[in-house]
Amino acid sequence: MSEINFRLFKNRITGRISKRTISLWFVLVLGLSATFMINIMLGSYDLTISEIVKILIDPQFKHIDSTVVWQLRMPRFLTAAMVGAMLALSGSLLQAITHNPLADPSLVGVSQGASLAVVALIVLFPNTPIEFRALAAFIGASAIATLIQWISYGKHSLASLRFILIGIGVAATISAGTTAMLTYGHINNSIAALSWISGGVHTATWVTCLVLFIGLLIILPVLVWSAYSVAPLRFSPEISIGIGSRHALHRLFIIMIAVALAALAVSVAGPIGFIGLIAPQITHKINSARPGSSMLLTALIGALMLCIADILGRTMLSPIQIPAGLVATLIGAPAFIFLLIRQHQKQKISL
Amino acid sequence: MGSLRLNFIICILAFTIAIFVHLNFGAKSIKFIDIFNAFWDYDSDNFDQVIIRNMRFPRLITAICVGAALSVSGALMQGATRNPLADPGLLALMSGASFGVIVGSNLFSINSFAWLPLFASGGAILTSVLVLIIATAAPSRSVVGLLLAGAAVSALCKAIVIVINLLNEESFATFRVWLSGAITNNAANTLPWCLPWIILGLLVAVSSAKGLTALSLGYETAKGLGVNVKWLGNKIFFSVIVLTASAVALVGPLGFVGLVVPHITRLIFGQDYEKIIPFSALIGAIFMLLVDLLSRIILAPTELATGIITSLIGGPIFIILVRRLL
Repeated sequence: MSEINFRLFKNRITGRISKRTISLWFVLVLGLSATFMINIMLGSYDLTISEIVKILIDPQFKHIDSTVVWQLRMPRFLTAAMVGAMLALSGSLLQAITHNPLADPSLVGVSQGASLAVVALIVLFPNTPIEFRALAAFIGASAIATLIQWISYGKHSLASLRFILIGIGVAATISAGTTAMLTYGHINNSIAALSWISGGVHTATWVTCLVLFIGLLIILPVLVWSAYSVAPLRFSPEISIGIGSRHALHRLFIIMIAVALAALAVSVAGPIGFIGLIAPQITHKINSARPGSSMLLTALIGALMLCIADILGRTMLSPIQIPAGLVATLIGAPAFIFLLIRQHQKQKISL
Repeated sequence: MGSLRLNFIICILAFTIAIFVHLNFGAKSIKFIDIFNAFWDYDSDNFDQVIIRNMRFPRLITAICVGAALSVSGALMQGATRNPLADPGLLALMSGASFGVIVGSNLFSINSFAWLPLFASGGAILTSVLVLIIATAAPSRSVVGLLLAGAAVSALCKAIVIVINLLNEESFATFRVWLSGAITNNAANTLPWCLPWIILGLLVAVSSAKGLTALSLGYETAKGLGVNVKWLGNKIFFSVIVLTASAVALVGPLGFVGLVVPHITRLIFGQDYEKIIPFSALIGAIFMLLVDLLSRIILAPTELATGIITSLIGGPIFIILVRRLL
C-alpha cells in the first residue's frame, strides 16, 4: 500500500497522499532546515554551529551573536521562506487556470500593479506605516489583474495567449508610470522606493514576518478549502463545466487567491520574478500528483529556492549584497528559456 | 497616386512645423528671426542664436536620428519576421545594446564616445542571435515564441546590468539617466560617432526595401520571385543591428517607437515596403520630435524622461494590436 487515506472533521476534509509525496515533503523540509542553518551561519559576521545552537536553545543568552541571529538573520530567513512559498503557490494557481505553463505573477502584470501602488504610496504618502503597503499592493495587483482579465476576455481558444501578451503590454505601460514616480518624486522617498523595488528580503524585520504570517493564516485555509476546485479548472471550460464545475465562479475565485498571495509577497519583498514560474514546473517534474498534495510541495520548493537565492546574493560578491530578486532572475530567466524550448519541442503548450 | 503625393506633402509639412516648434519651444522662447539667423547669419554675441546653435540644434538632430532609426529598424523586423508585434525593445535588442554598453565600458574603461555604438552593436548582435535561436527552436507560432524569448532575454540582460551597477557605483552614476531612456543635451557628444552609422543603416534599409516586400509575403514566395534571400537577410540584419545600436548608444533604450511608427505608416501608405521604409523614417522623426516636446512641456521646468512617454503611448497601442490580432 503506497497511499495513505485520511478523513478529518467528520469527512469534511478527506484525502489520499502517496508515500512518495510524503518522502518528498520530508526531503524538502530537511533541505529547508539545512538552508536555515547556513543562512544563520554565513554573513559578514560568521558563526559556528555550536554557537547557534547555544543561542537558539537559550533565548536569555545575551550576547552580540544573539542579536545578530534573532534580530537580523532569523526574520530574514522566515520572510524569504514565506515569500518564496507564496510566490510559488500563486504561480502554480495562475498556471493551472490559464492552462499556460509559462504564467508567472511577474509576467502577467500582478507584480507591476503592486509595484505601481506601493511606489505611489511611498513617494506620494511617505508617512503611512509599513503595514499599509500590503493593502496598497493588494489593491494595485487586483486592479491590474482585473484590467488584464477584462481586456484579454474574448475568443477563448487563444485566451491564455492573449492573457500573456496583454500582460506584457500592460506591464510595460505601468512600469513607465512607476519609473516616472521614481525619477520625479522627492529624492529620499525615491531611494526608499528604489530599495524596495529591486526585490529582496534585506529589509525584513519581525514586523514584516508578522504581516506575512497573518496573511498566510487568512489565505491558507481558503486555499486548502478550494483545492478541490482547481483540478477541473485545468481542463478546458467545456470539460470542466461538463463534469459539474462552476467554471466562471471558481476561476474568478482562484485568480483572487493567486493575486492575494502574490500581492502580499510583493508588498514585503518587492517584485521577485521567476520563482512563481519555476517552482511549479519542478513540482510537475518530480511529482504529478493531485493539486492538493502538490501545493504543499510547490510551496516548499518555492521557499527553498528563495532562501538559496538570498544566501547566494549575500555571499557571492560579499561585502556587496545582491538582492534575492536579482539572483532569482539571473537563475530563473535561463530556466524560463529552457522551458520555452522544451515545451515547444513537446508541442504540448497551448500557444 | 494623387493621394500619395498629398500624404507626402502633408508629412513634409508636419515635419517642418515640428522642427520649428521644437527649436522654438523651451525654457526660453526664441523668436523665429533668431532661429533663421542662427543658421544663415550667425552672430556669436546673440545669446538666443548661441542657444539654438549649440543646444537645441544638436538635440533636434538627435531626436530626428533616433526616431528615424528606431522606426525603420522596427519596420524591417516586422517585415522580415512577418511578425506585426516585432519591435527592437520587445525582442530584447535594446536591453542587449544597453548591456553591451555597460559591460564594454566597465571591462575596457574607455571613455571615448566613439566606442559606444560598437559596444551597443556587440550586445545587440548577441541578444538578437540568442532570441532568434530560442524562437527557431519553436516550430510553430513564432509570433509568441519570439516575444516570450525576447521578454526572458531582456529580463536577464537587465538583471546583469543592475548587478554590474551595484558593483560599480561610478558606472551607475554615469549611466543612470541614460538607462531610463532620455534625449538629453549630452547626446550631442555621442552624435558625431553615431550619425554615420545611422545614415549607413538607413541607406542599407532603403536598398533592401524592394526585396523586403517580397519577403513579407513569405520565405518561399520571395525565393520564387527571384530574391536572393540570404543576402537580403544579411542586409536586413546588419541594418537592424546598426540602427538600433546607434539609437541606444545615443539616448538609451526607448520602448515601443519601433512598434508604433511602422503601424501608423502602414495605415497611411499601405503594405509596400518601398514606401513603408522611407516614410517610417519621416514619421518616426516627427513622432520623436513631438515626444521630445511633450517631455519638456508636461513637467516644465523639469524634463520627463523620453522613454517614459514612449512607453505610455506605445503600451496601449501594443495592447490594441494584440486584441486585433488574436
